[in-house]
Amino acid sequence: MKILYLGIAAAILALTAWNLWTEKDWRKQATAAMVAIPLLLRVLLIK
Amino acid sequence: MPFEFTLFLAMVGVFAVCAFAVKLPVSLSMLAAALTGLLVSGNGLGIRHLVEGTFGYVDTILVIATAMIFMRAVQESGALDALNVVIIKRFRTVPALLLPMLMLVAMFPGMITGSSSASVLTAGAVVAPVLMILGLPAAEAGAFIALAGILGMIAPPVNIPAMIIGGGIDMPFVGFEVPLLLLTMPLAVIFSLTIGLKHVKKLSWEALAPKLDTETYERYGIRLFAPILVVAALMVLGKVVPKYFGMGLPVVFLIGAALALFVGKRFNPLLAAKSAVADALPVLGILAGVGMFIQVMTLTGVRGFVVVSALSVPPIMLYAAIAITIPLFGAVSSFGASSVLGVPFLLALLGKNQIVTAAALSLIASLGDFMPPTALSAIFAAQVVGVEKYSRVLRHLVIPSIVILAWALVFIAYSKQIAAMY
Amino acid sequence: MQKNHISAAIISILTLAACAVAGASFLEHRKVEPIVRGPGVTEVVKLSAWYAGLAGTPADTDVYVFRGQNPGGSMLVIGGTHPNEPSSFLSAVLLIENASAESGTLYVIPRANASGFTHNDPQEGAPLAYSFTLPDGSKRTFRYGSRATNPVHQWPDTDVYVHAASGQTLSGNETRNLNRGYPGRTDGTLTEKACYGITEMIRAEKIDLSIDLHEASPEYPVINAIVAHERAMPIASQVVLGLEFSDITIGLEPSPKNLRGLTHRELGDATDTLAVLMETANPSQGRLRSRTDEALVLTGKDPYYVKAQKLGRLYVPFDEKGHPIEERVGRHLTAIGEFAFAMSGEYPDRPIELSGVPGYDDLGAKGLGAFLRTAD
Repeated sequence: MKILYLGIAAAILALTAWNLWTEKDWRKQATAAMVAIPLLLRVLLIK
Repeated sequence: MPFEFTLFLAMVGVFAVCAFAVKLPVSLSMLAAALTGLLVSGNGLGIRHLVEGTFGYVDTILVIATAMIFMRAVQESGALDALNVVIIKRFRTVPALLLPMLMLVAMFPGMITGSSSASVLTAGAVVAPVLMILGLPAAEAGAFIALAGILGMIAPPVNIPAMIIGGGIDMPFVGFEVPLLLLTMPLAVIFSLTIGLKHVKKLSWEALAPKLDTETYERYGIRLFAPILVVAALMVLGKVVPKYFGMGLPVVFLIGAALALFVGKRFNPLLAAKSAVADALPVLGILAGVGMFIQVMTLTGVRGFVVVSALSVPPIMLYAAIAITIPLFGAVSSFGASSVLGVPFLLALLGKNQIVTAAALSLIASLGDFMPPTALSAIFAAQVVGVEKYSRVLRHLVIPSIVILAWALVFIAYSKQIAAMY
Repeated sequence: MQKNHISAAIISILTLAACAVAGASFLEHRKVEPIVRGPGVTEVVKLSAWYAGLAGTPADTDVYVFRGQNPGGSMLVIGGTHPNEPSSFLSAVLLIENASAESGTLYVIPRANASGFTHNDPQEGAPLAYSFTLPDGSKRTFRYGSRATNPVHQWPDTDVYVHAASGQTLSGNETRNLNRGYPGRTDGTLTEKACYGITEMIRAEKIDLSIDLHEASPEYPVINAIVAHERAMPIASQVVLGLEFSDITIGLEPSPKNLRGLTHRELGDATDTLAVLMETANPSQGRLRSRTDEALVLTGKDPYYVKAQKLGRLYVPFDEKGHPIEERVGRHLTAIGEFAFAMSGEYPDRPIELSGVPGYDDLGAKGLGAFLRTAD
């Protein structure tokens, strides 16, 4: 189950990062970055 | 004046300036407020605290993101359009039944995700045009789906504010279904009728049909609804036999989304998922921001200040304090209000039925989604119905909000009697 | 490069930098602090010696064994069930660094939930660690942890936590709470496996008395109290009286039959041990606290708790003197001594006699650092 959820988190992280790079407005980019932080650290099994 | 009060004012002030004057999104305004709290309290940049705070919602972020992907998939497959066709065709002659049905459809995503924004942006976006076809002015249609958003958020099976409030006193989110249904469903019926009934024109099917997407349903039929039914079934099974179906909502939603690929109109799953996440990002960002904000409040003692101040209110004033402070704080976020104020108020209401009281407090907390400047539910609703100024939508939400408050307070006052009823 | 790609690049770099800074401190939190073996420790064994399934997992943890010169009964002290309750962990550390068993055998687990020591609870603003200065001027630093197992080691939580043995349901985050997982099982979560290891150890070593050390927030009803399994009630009543002689007031509560998964219920039901749990008052884990920092953890002084006490919201006396860590550890250690005494009186064929345990007054006078050994 943990592997599956890490996969889901990684997928949401990838979609978030994709949005960050295609988004035109820096404010929305920054919002995406805030969401990416916990996802990234969880996927890397750091936190 | 305690230092924590000054700090609280500084944090709220920075938030207000960022959100109103600078017009930053709520997420970034929260981040700025949290940073202010860290700096003023002598904690430096406190990167560890900012990052750690977001982890309070990492599971919620996955639930909302996957729910939005599921809803987008269902929408793209044509199932939501078809659902409206079925509903209108069957119930158009009885608006007293049709309007509550539409309310329920609009509430559905909020019920399963616990997010009012998910409701408004998905099912709300489908129901709103139907309401306007039926004769509702845009602002009223916006108010209709905004109300559906917060009632859906509070209605079972998923109610995040109630989970947050219960979690604060080690109370499991178990046994909430009936009180939450009693709190939300009567209001859903009443609001759908009071807002809609006076505008709805009785129209012949021939007049309505061209404005609806009837083709999808004719082409794919009942199987369009398979993903919705499977998700509903998996959610029920997850509650009844958690041993075998306790896979959690994110997995359930992704199964439903995958199924939606095969039952209706074709769509590009990657692009749909990307745009679903894009729609979810403002809400997910707010969750991350609230996490940072609460971490800094706790770290600096502002949370203790707020909690002890709330508990210092004399008992006679307690209800007034609940009715005023929770929605006001909800302007920051309804989840934040649940955690920071919902828990201490529940503690102050010892002697009441805890489940009914927590459920009612969660309903009051949901009003935060109408509270400017964030007013998430109202802003998204205005966006959906194409109303430029969300205050036009908000105007129609004032009376319903007062009714919601009164209804919730009645539940708190008579919590024991209500609990004895079921 | 497009304009929005420039901003995306800047934001991405800032984000990665923030992740790196925070990530470094999260990883640092996994470094295990030393505990110095005192004169009485005869062996240090891993919990996996009793349940091999724990070997190599983040839940495996050290068990310190004190075999007395003379035969006798056996006692287990469980510290660090909740790593955000420092008096629990520190009481175990002071036993390890100071105590000896004259008769019988003492087992001490300082980090019952070893995984919980490797992270902090989100939104609690907890300090990473707290320190004591020793008489020789050196410092000892200990981690402030979380109430629950690290999600990096066990994730996700189910929506609802079902206690395996009884079917009782609790909110999902209790899945990682060691003190809801007893008696544990081999095919369960990491937390349940740790519970199983401790239960197996009690069975295999035929431990007569098990004491689980905790702290509670001052607004929580069960505080400054002993919670005892029904078979442990006679002994616990003697301890309450014994503590009264030392001017320590403590409550005694029966273990609720319908609250499952906790040590005082499950260890008593599943094994022959006499199971008790003890609570002291820790404002640094409470909801009403003011600024959260190392000082609050150590001094237990908090103006908002003083205010809340005046409002009648607390279950423990609270004035400007607070509840310093010396008082909280002193309560636990004195009670442990009383339990040994009461056991020896009740079961003369299985005496447990301890020496070198720091006393309540000594701790208050000299400070906790005076009872720690210099670490290399």
